Amino acid sequence: DKPKLTSCRSPEKETFTCWWQPGHDGGLPTTYALYYLKDNSDTIYECPDYHTAGENSCFFNKNDTSVWVNYNITVVATNALGSNFSDPEDVDVAYIVQPHTPENVTVNVMEDKGWPFLRVSWESPHKADIRSGWITLIYELRVKLEGEEEWEEHHAGQQKMFNIFSIRSGSTYLVQVRCKPDHGFWSEWSSTTYVKVPEYFFRERSLWILVMIFSSFTLIILLWIVHMNSHSLKHCLLPPVPGPKIKGFDQQIFKNGRSDEILSALMVPNFPPTKSSNYEDLLVEYLEVYVSEEQELILEESKDSCLKSDSSTCDSDSGRGSCDSHTLLTDKCGEAKRERRASGEDSGMTIESQKGWEEEALSYTQEDVATPDVSSRRVKTWPSVFSTVPQYTTSPLDQKTSLELSKQHCLSDTLFPPGSSTKEVLGPNYWEFDLSNKQSHLPQPQTHGSQQLQAHSDVNISYTGNKQVPALLQLPGFKSTEYVEVQKVNQEDMVILQPVESDNCGRDEECPHVLQGEDYSKVKGVGSDNLLLLQSGVKARMGDEMEANGVSESCYTSSSFATTQKHIDSMHSATIPGQEEPIRATTGYVDTTTMFTLPMY
Amino acid sequence: MPGNITSVPAVWLWSVCLLFCIRLTSVGAAPICTNAQAGCHVLSLANLFDRVIQHSARMHGISNDLHNEFEQFFLPSKNQIGRISRNCHTSSILTPNGKENAQRMAREELTEVILKLLVAWRDPLWHFHQSMSHHHDFNNFSSSKALEISDMVHELRKGVEKVAEKMQNLGMIGNFVNNLASPETFLTSDSAEWRLMRNYDLLYCFRRDSNKVQNYLKILKCRIVPEHGC
Repeated sequence: DKPKLTSCRSPEKETFTCWWQPGHDGGLPTTYALYYLKDNSDTIYECPDYHTAGENSCFFNKNDTSVWVNYNITVVATNALGSNFSDPEDVDVAYIVQPHTPENVTVNVMEDKGWPFLRVSWESPHKADIRSGWITLIYELRVKLEGEEEWEEHHAGQQKMFNIFSIRSGSTYLVQVRCKPDHGFWSEWSSTTYVKVPEYFFRERSLWILVMIFSSFTLIILLWIVHMNSHSLKHCLLPPVPGPKIKGFDQQIFKNGRSDEILSALMVPNFPPTKSSNYEDLLVEYLEVYVSEEQELILEESKDSCLKSDSSTCDSDSGRGSCDSHTLLTDKCGEAKRERRASGEDSGMTIESQKGWEEEALSYTQEDVATPDVSSRRVKTWPSVFSTVPQYTTSPLDQKTSLELSKQHCLSDTLFPPGSSTKEVLGPNYWEFDLSNKQSHLPQPQTHGSQQLQAHSDVNISYTGNKQVPALLQLPGFKSTEYVEVQKVNQEDMVILQPVESDNCGRDEECPHVLQGEDYSKVKGVGSDNLLLLQSGVKARMGDEMEANGVSESCYTSSSFATTQKHIDSMHSATIPGQEEPIRATTGYVDTTTMFTLPMY
Repeated sequence: MPGNITSVPAVWLWSVCLLFCIRLTSVGAAPICTNAQAGCHVLSLANLFDRVIQHSARMHGISNDLHNEFEQFFLPSKNQIGRISRNCHTSSILTPNGKENAQRMAREELTEVILKLLVAWRDPLWHFHQSMSHHHDFNNFSSSKALEISDMVHELRKGVEKVAEKMQNLGMIGNFVNNLASPETFLTSDSAEWRLMRNYDLLYCFRRDSNKVQNYLKILKCRIVPEHGC
């Protein structure tokens, strides 16, 4: 086979070398020869050097090399079989220049304003004569990160130094350089030069410092904002738990401790809801009977104490009737006060409070009413239960008006069947008679007598009036703070009153029993001395009937008494069993709010 | 202050005018002066050399392109009967074929050789361009290149002449044979040869000669003004 001239190369345009490829020699030893012709001459020249350049090569040294001369080269392979000529090739040294690789490639890491860059410098291949201008080389370099695949190529021109700026600190770079003559072939890449870029902590640290400062500023601002809006945030995150509140109720009132305010606060205007929708309730007025100064003082005291004490016991529960009315409260307080006073004054009062009616009655009946103490006590306590309607003074009887006396007499006489001895009469009612009988003994010590009388009268009053009437005739001298509520005004301009009763009635015999019916007392008229003439009546209807009857002023109760007598009798009969009954069951009070008896408890 | 307002734009206008004038003068200094006229801005020899070398490089590039184009269109079979006699008409001009030879040659000779080459190629290239335009086988690109080459050769010759003249003025080179006076004589002796050459061979020869010129100029420059890029 024919050999083939593969390539011819000149590294510096002064010498060149040609290589051929031997063909199939068929296993026979073959010799190769290279012949060439120069530039249109017919002289055949043979390769001067077959060995310098290695196997199958021909080296042309300087003497044999002519530039800008066309070489016609032919390789001849000769073996035992024959010889074979290769195809001639034209070679012009000027165009086959392929220089060696650049030498002394050095890479340095330099710093420009804090940023690093690579400075690559190299030298031309030592054989290429650049200085004389014989060859002009242009360079090219390439860079890549260690571990990457893509090279970054840079064209350097004829300079022998190049700067690479796009590098990262802390990484290793690979650099290679190659060159080419202005008309020729590129050289091989130079051997790889490794360069390690050190970590530039200085620059990165400053960056971190900036970041830290900025973040700290932001944090401070955020904290400040949060602090400013801490209250709103608290409300947002932790909504305040609403505390219990009563509508329209100010808890500060309790804290202040002012009883007036407390009571007023507790009292609801439209509370408690009245059972009866009687519009007559609108006409309710509180009648406060005139009392003496002493009584007034007592009243005041009782009032104050009552308010304070009762305010705690009473609540807004509408089921409790005792707390329904303001007057009731006060009356209760008053009664309680009276109780206390009475009990405090006389030890014997305890008897009264504890004993039942019977006992008291018996005590009274048995005892001589002359016992002033008892009677006096009795007298004292008695009036306290009932409101003082008429003006009575603790002054001696002499001070009393005839009218009063007459009243008393009337009461005493009419209420109870004259002549009926107390002893005969059972129950406490009878002792009244005694008392009443004793009225004739007025000349007795005034105090006592008067007291007795008063007691009689009071007692009479109390019983005859169905526990309510006595309230009307209470001596003003006694410390009574009972109030009579105007229940309604009759056609005859008669005010129907209801005495206010306390819940202590259960213990006191003075407590008038309350029938199932209404107990009220009607104001018959107003006396000359500003005395309210009351008419007792069992029931409203009865009272009305009674009212229809004409009642004289002097003994206004006479007619009523007549009627009431029956009632009384019935009452007696009724009261008797009522005595046995717990007194608490009976209620009798003047309450303008209702016509019915309110339950007591 | 109307006076100040009006004066400001006037001043600005004058400044602009001055700048323009300066620029114009500077621009006027750029072109090469002929015959060393007074007032011309004189270019340094190094700059002249650089200009010439760049010109010759461009010329060589174009010639190379033309040659390659011709090689595609007119593939001369290398196995043709008879070798291709690439006997350029400029073979008579003795040119150094090696680095030592070129370095050994005197500056004046080298300059003379360059000039001879350039002169020798002015007419053939002109005719080549003429033949190219007549033959519609080639595209316009080749025709324009042919025309460009002829112009470039002409300008390069003038440039080299100027360089020689400058060198002569600077005393670097002595008197050399002035070929300017006798281009026709040169051509007349070889006038018939280049007509016989084929265009392809013409281009081949020209490519080689342009390479020579470029190389010789570089050597000359590095010998005379080595401080720039040598």
